[in-house]
Amino acid sequence: MHDQMPATSLPKPAPGLFWNPFLQIFLTVLLTAAAQILLKVGADYSAANDSVWSWLGVAELGSWWTWAGILAFVASFGGWLYALRFLPLGLAFALTNGVHIFVPLGSWLFLGEHISLLRGSGICVIIAGILLLAQSVAKVEEKV
Amino acid sequence: MSLTAWVLVIISQLALVAGQIFLKRAMSRREHGGEKARGWIGTLTIGIATMTVWFLLWLGVMHQVELSKLMPLEGISPLLIVLGAAVFLRERLNWRGWAGVGLTCVGVLLVSAS
Repeated sequence: MHDQMPATSLPKPAPGLFWNPFLQIFLTVLLTAAAQILLKVGADYSAANDSVWSWLGVAELGSWWTWAGILAFVASFGGWLYALRFLPLGLAFALTNGVHIFVPLGSWLFLGEHISLLRGSGICVIIAGILLLAQSVAKVEEKV
Repeated sequence: MSLTAWVLVIISQLALVAGQIFLKRAMSRREHGGEKARGWIGTLTIGIATMTVWFLLWLGVMHQVELSKLMPLEGISPLLIVLGAAVFLRERLNWRGWAGVGLTCVGVLLVSAS
């Protein structure tokens, strides 16, 4: 099995916790999850609105929740592009699966949705996968 | 699933992988600076355009195909990205990385199926 791309061949980010690419991936995941939930709230708002626009899918744009969701998506894309400057694509993309942890958790906390046993198991498996990915990064950095 | 739906699904997944590879190329070029950095905005634009194609195709497929049939494809997308990155960007994962990607794929499948 090949080793992961050596950390030395990757550019170094600016000093400071905020510029850590892993923190940026985490913020990307949080913002994407927040965007999904905000868009859901915006969609519910438009569903309650009985106008012609609600049938065309344009009514969502009348909700501030939807605009907040769009803003969160744009911000998450900024964080994603920043992280790609420093991290291998395969690793970074796999880490963004954390969205599948935070969307169900956020839906449970803010929308009162139920987390089934199957969904809970899926969340645990994703957490295990992300921990392994984090360990693989730590091992590579240790070697360097 | 009809043949058209299959073709659309395959093209959309290829667009996702290609789009992410273009984004990565653009950001790596920008970071290295100098001669290499030339044209990074063009590569970024191609990446964003390819991701837009993926998004629209995926929306189109979702209108035609039951979500339960599309779930496994959402689960394998991290694997496709890792393979694409290995081929086109020469990225390599150690066994922990592969196991992590595998587990996240299974986890996404379970969450999507619930």
